[in-house]
Amino acid sequence: MKNLTLVVMLLCYSFASSSGDSTIHTNNWAVLVCTSRFWFNYRHMANTLSLYRTVKRLGIPDERIILMLADDMACNSRNQYPAQVFNNENHQINLYGDNVEVDYRGYEVTVENFLRVLTGRHENAVPRSKRLLSDEGSHILLYMTGHGGDEFLKFQDAEELQSHDLADAVKQMKEKRRFKELLIMVDTCQAATLFNQLQSPGVLAIGSSLKGENSYSHHLDSDIGVSVVDRFTYYTLAFFERLNIYDNASLNSLFRSYDPRQLMSTAYYRTDLYQPHLSEVPVTNFFGSVMETIHTDSAYHAFSSRISNSKIKSDTPFNQPFNQLSEQDVKEDLQNTNNQNDELKTEKQKCPYSEMRADLHEKLKKIENVDTMVNLSIAVMILVVMVSSSLL
Amino acid sequence: MPVLDLGLIFRTSPIDPDLIRGKSQPLFPSGVAEGYWLKQASMSPYAGSMYHGSPLLLSLLGPLTVQRIKGQPSHLFCSLVFVIADILSAMLLRGIGHKLQMAYGLNARLLGLLKSPRDKEGILPSGDIAALVYLWNPFTIVCCVGLSTSPIENMAVILALNGAVTRRVPLAAFGLVMATHLSLYPAILTIPVIFLLGYGLDAPPLKLFLQTRNVESDNRSSTSSASKQAKLKPTAHLPFLWRTVVHFVFWVLVWSLCVLVLCGLSLSKHGGLEEMFKRTYGFILSIEDLSPNIGVFWYFFAEVFDFFRSFFLIVFHVNILFMLLPLAIRLKHRPCFLAFIYLAISSLLKSYPSVGDSALYLSLWALFVNELAVDMKFSFFLFCGYLGVSLLSPVMHNLWIWRGTGNANFYFGNAIGYACFQIVFVVESVSAMLNHDRALKKCNPNHQEVKN
Repeated sequence: MKNLTLVVMLLCYSFASSSGDSTIHTNNWAVLVCTSRFWFNYRHMANTLSLYRTVKRLGIPDERIILMLADDMACNSRNQYPAQVFNNENHQINLYGDNVEVDYRGYEVTVENFLRVLTGRHENAVPRSKRLLSDEGSHILLYMTGHGGDEFLKFQDAEELQSHDLADAVKQMKEKRRFKELLIMVDTCQAATLFNQLQSPGVLAIGSSLKGENSYSHHLDSDIGVSVVDRFTYYTLAFFERLNIYDNASLNSLFRSYDPRQLMSTAYYRTDLYQPHLSEVPVTNFFGSVMETIHTDSAYHAFSSRISNSKIKSDTPFNQPFNQLSEQDVKEDLQNTNNQNDELKTEKQKCPYSEMRADLHEKLKKIENVDTMVNLSIAVMILVVMVSSSLL
Repeated sequence: MPVLDLGLIFRTSPIDPDLIRGKSQPLFPSGVAEGYWLKQASMSPYAGSMYHGSPLLLSLLGPLTVQRIKGQPSHLFCSLVFVIADILSAMLLRGIGHKLQMAYGLNARLLGLLKSPRDKEGILPSGDIAALVYLWNPFTIVCCVGLSTSPIENMAVILALNGAVTRRVPLAAFGLVMATHLSLYPAILTIPVIFLLGYGLDAPPLKLFLQTRNVESDNRSSTSSASKQAKLKPTAHLPFLWRTVVHFVFWVLVWSLCVLVLCGLSLSKHGGLEEMFKRTYGFILSIEDLSPNIGVFWYFFAEVFDFFRSFFLIVFHVNILFMLLPLAIRLKHRPCFLAFIYLAISSLLKSYPSVGDSALYLSLWALFVNELAVDMKFSFFLFCGYLGVSLLSPVMHNLWIWRGTGNANFYFGNAIGYACFQIVFVVESVSAMLNHDRALKKCNPNHQEVKN
């Protein structure tokens, strides 16, 4: 009896623990977004390129990185070092090396495109390199930097992404099973407000500052003439430069490494939607790409069933019933309101004047060709005018 | 008149309206085609955002926008209708001018400024001039070709004035009701029309006639009621013909009732009269549409905060209203001129000005060449100003919207310049007219001089 209950409890526990996580972690994706343009926002570009370099170094290939840069700093006419982007005044690392693939550049970085990337709702002609082809076993790192504020992030100086837009997109992603876990990292002013509205499970979010706080740049490079990196990203990079691909540093150690005095803001992270303990999650779950390797001596065989389970489900079965439902709902709503209007009209028919008016209305409704009647009446009016003006 | 025929031929030549509408600035708020299409699709014609006019206009003009003849440019019928409207307006203007000219000559003879009834030297045929100015005004031509509804609105206003001047009360009432129905602002013309019907045509102030009577000793027969009264009574009070005015009010009520009933009929399925008032008058009063036009309000209301929006709406509309009373008091002896000034002010300060309005008041100005042409000081400056503004305006619009090398300020600067020129024009006209009256007063004791 005891054994039975134990087995049942174990089953239940395994059910509970894997209720949301029945899929296994198969791949890592990174979506790195820089939303600012103009030369004085050099540091945002440097932030994003630094993260790009880091995740590439730690193993995520270009096919699984979506890099969105809103402006071109490397080849900007104000750049003294053409085709070079630095994130430190010592100019030791050129972030814009030989191997940078920018997927969305310049004016393509818009809120619409960003949300399309996240939700996967592209037009037919969008190439694969611009799509986030994640599946239900993906861990996605979403890094955004730029200028932000209370519950918004500014894109391109012309539009803004609001926190509820982001939450909606994440919710859609969850519905369409486009991620297993999502880490959102935001480096802007009042960054923590951007993920206020998130509700989907499996999402971990960290922002560089709280509501009412600004995020500051780290230092000014007097040679280039602008600030080259932000504090939050600088200390993130400092953490990662100490790592290599085999390290087991946990997210907890990353998040604990942020010192509010050095950042001049409070790096706030939100773990209520994220089940696993942060100290047990290695950073390479998001920032790197550690694949499970199966050592085999024999020749290459067909894939095992474990890997073939995680296919990407196509979008169309989801879209069609949704659209049909919405059309039917709209029609039903219209009919309901019409019925209500008729009911209201019948209630008013109590006093004789309104009865007369109602009768008139019904007669008018029965007259089909109102237009010719109106035209005839106008003609009659003009005739009367001419006759009366010639007589009187 | 052969000159009028020339105007007709010029108008019916196949000028492509799309060229003007497409490339030039949006002077032409013509959503008639859209309204008609929506109506045919059993929707309210106001469901789209383009049509904000009268449903009667829609049922008259709507079918014309759709019919085509093979081999002819599209919208041929519409253009024909507008050409006919313009020609009718010109003929009515000629009628008004004729009457005004007669009144001018009569008054001049009564004041002893002209020696004999045959002496018509120096009195310009203001009616013909006004008709020509109207037909040949580039603004009118552009409006006609660009298929805006201004020709029909202008025709209604001129109809009202003609009816008032020729004392055909039902016609005046019809014109006024139609003009107010089509756009809200001609409602202010009730005042000059009532003055025209009550007091008679434009005449110098009554005091001049009394002075003349005191100086002259012989009796002359005359038909002007003003001079008759001056002979009979020593006190200076012009009689007000209440009967005619009551007649006029009665006809206004009759026509308004007809129009409202017809509009209610045609909109019975789509929300009725309230919908119409909300969409036509409400649209004019609340300035919802901020697309650029030759006026100055769109720029202002694009940047005003919502908190202050209703305040500024009230201010701008009262701006027209508070000018009505002082002008009426000062110019009540010249009701036709008062109508011209009201039209000029309303076309300057209305919600969505267009060049069709200035076409109208420029031709009405031409009715008063006899009094104004001598005294107006800045005529060359104004002429150059109007010309420059109308030439630069499409250029600035192109620079702003199509090329992107300019911005809204270019076009708006133009609109401000246009407004300034209009203001100078109005002020100059009024002061020229008042100077004319003062000059009459001065040269009255020496009535042997002939004043032109």
